[in-house]
Amino acid sequence: MSTTPSTYTLPVGPMHVALEEPMYFNIQVEGETVRSVDLAAGHVHRGMEALAMNRNYFQNVTLTERVCSLCSNSHPATYCMAVENLSGLFVPERARYLRVIADEVKRVASHLFNVGIMAHLVGFDSLFMHVMEVREIMQDAKEGVYGNRMNLGQCVIGGCRTDIDADTAAFLRGQLEQLKPQLDEIHGVYERDPLIRARTQGIGLLSQEEAIRHGVVGPVARASGVVYDIRAKAPYAVYPDLDFEVQSDTRGDVHSRALLRLREAAESVRIIEQCLDMIPDGPIAVSGMVTVPPGESVARTEAPRGEVVYYLRSDGSDTPQRLKWRVPTYMNWEALQVMMSGCQVADIPLIVNSIDPCISCTER
Amino acid sequence: MKKNIIHSVTQALSPFCDQDIVRWTYDVNDNAFAWIAPGSPDTLRTIAPALAGLQARLLTITAYRRDKFGRADGREIAYHFDIDGVVATVTVLLDDEFPRVPSIAHWFKNAGWNEREFAELYGIEIIDHPDPRRLFVDKDLDADILDRLIPLSTLMNGASTTTLWEKVFAGKQMPEWAKGELN
Repeated sequence: MSTTPSTYTLPVGPMHVALEEPMYFNIQVEGETVRSVDLAAGHVHRGMEALAMNRNYFQNVTLTERVCSLCSNSHPATYCMAVENLSGLFVPERARYLRVIADEVKRVASHLFNVGIMAHLVGFDSLFMHVMEVREIMQDAKEGVYGNRMNLGQCVIGGCRTDIDADTAAFLRGQLEQLKPQLDEIHGVYERDPLIRARTQGIGLLSQEEAIRHGVVGPVARASGVVYDIRAKAPYAVYPDLDFEVQSDTRGDVHSRALLRLREAAESVRIIEQCLDMIPDGPIAVSGMVTVPPGESVARTEAPRGEVVYYLRSDGSDTPQRLKWRVPTYMNWEALQVMMSGCQVADIPLIVNSIDPCISCTER
Repeated sequence: MKKNIIHSVTQALSPFCDQDIVRWTYDVNDNAFAWIAPGSPDTLRTIAPALAGLQARLLTITAYRRDKFGRADGREIAYHFDIDGVVATVTVLLDDEFPRVPSIAHWFKNAGWNEREFAELYGIEIIDHPDPRRLFVDKDLDADILDRLIPLSTLMNGASTTTLWEKVFAGKQMPEWAKGELN
């Protein structure tokens, strides 16, 4: 449908081969160049926050794990932190290490998934398959440690469900040893391969100023020079005791976001190894039932895609008066209007993928 | 460092809030949370630019009913900001009869989606919103519809109309079964 003699509307979605989930992009195109983008959401709105207000505090641990598949540990972990903040519950130190291990295992798998998809969108399918095969190392680690390949079921209010004994720790270390050289190699390919560079460098640009104006979070923000990572800025669990470097870049394009995710995956491996070295003996959860008093609390964590925020309001009953969560992707969508302005039509899927979008997260 | 931020937040808000209505809490890792006691929606017109001046970032906005089942009137909105690692929550109380609140998208661009979402889910009018369209819920549905109690008996009574089939078979011969006479 033409809008002016020189531009026309290119509808993408809600069902489209380049989208894993439904979102509608109304794109104004002039020739092969994108002039403006409008988004229409709401195709998978599930009303999960309303469900959460009708479930008790323990049932909501299970519910929040199902907000998102790739960030599935971050949601119950942050939710539990909000409950613990309000209840004044102190999580045993061993459990805080276990929570970090689970979060970082998920981060590695999530980042590899995103950069793998990027290779597919570039047309480099052998690299896509290789990255997904390497990702299987972490998938196997998840299955071996937690019994599941996506939803780990690790977090409970006041601690964790699954302990890591000596044998399991040795297995996990073995998986990390397998992973490390592969991550190095993959990073080198993404950094130097001419095809990857030609398709991803200098596209989907988001300046630091625009990143701040849109309030974007996670790797999208850090690749644009906004060096903000909740693990360092407002640390939780045992992150204050761990040695890790917040990754950042200033180029703000598709290529820098992918490389940043790969560096973060390597940093996650270091974090897991430190946790396995430093984890103390002790209980992995508090015993007994928790009582949630009337009041309100906020908790934040750094999920693979960025900052997750949970707000909990209690009226003293066994169900939340209100439970609100804000996922990273929610903050990053509108920045696509900046990233896609002036880009080529062929680059649209690459730019969308570079924010690592999660629509089921966004709409809840 | 955090003491400096706490001082800055307190100073910036002091023209609009008494010291006693800013409450501070801390989590086990000593992360600070400021809670600014409920005020009128108009206080946003002064607090929002003050927070923007502190380079605050809007985290999210939470609308809720004072009674979650809606048995009594009353809606509140909590605005959550990050100020260099400190979370500040500003709460406003809405009028029972005409729930409305000024948009803060002028100072915080990322408020746009948050405001559109709570407007459609809680039936709250946003004043001066730059793009007051629906976000998730179709424009043909009433605002606040997802927050209404619809008894299961109403949902399950089997009543239906032929509107859908009239659209599907527009301009064609509508089959007998679609005319609803068999219901």
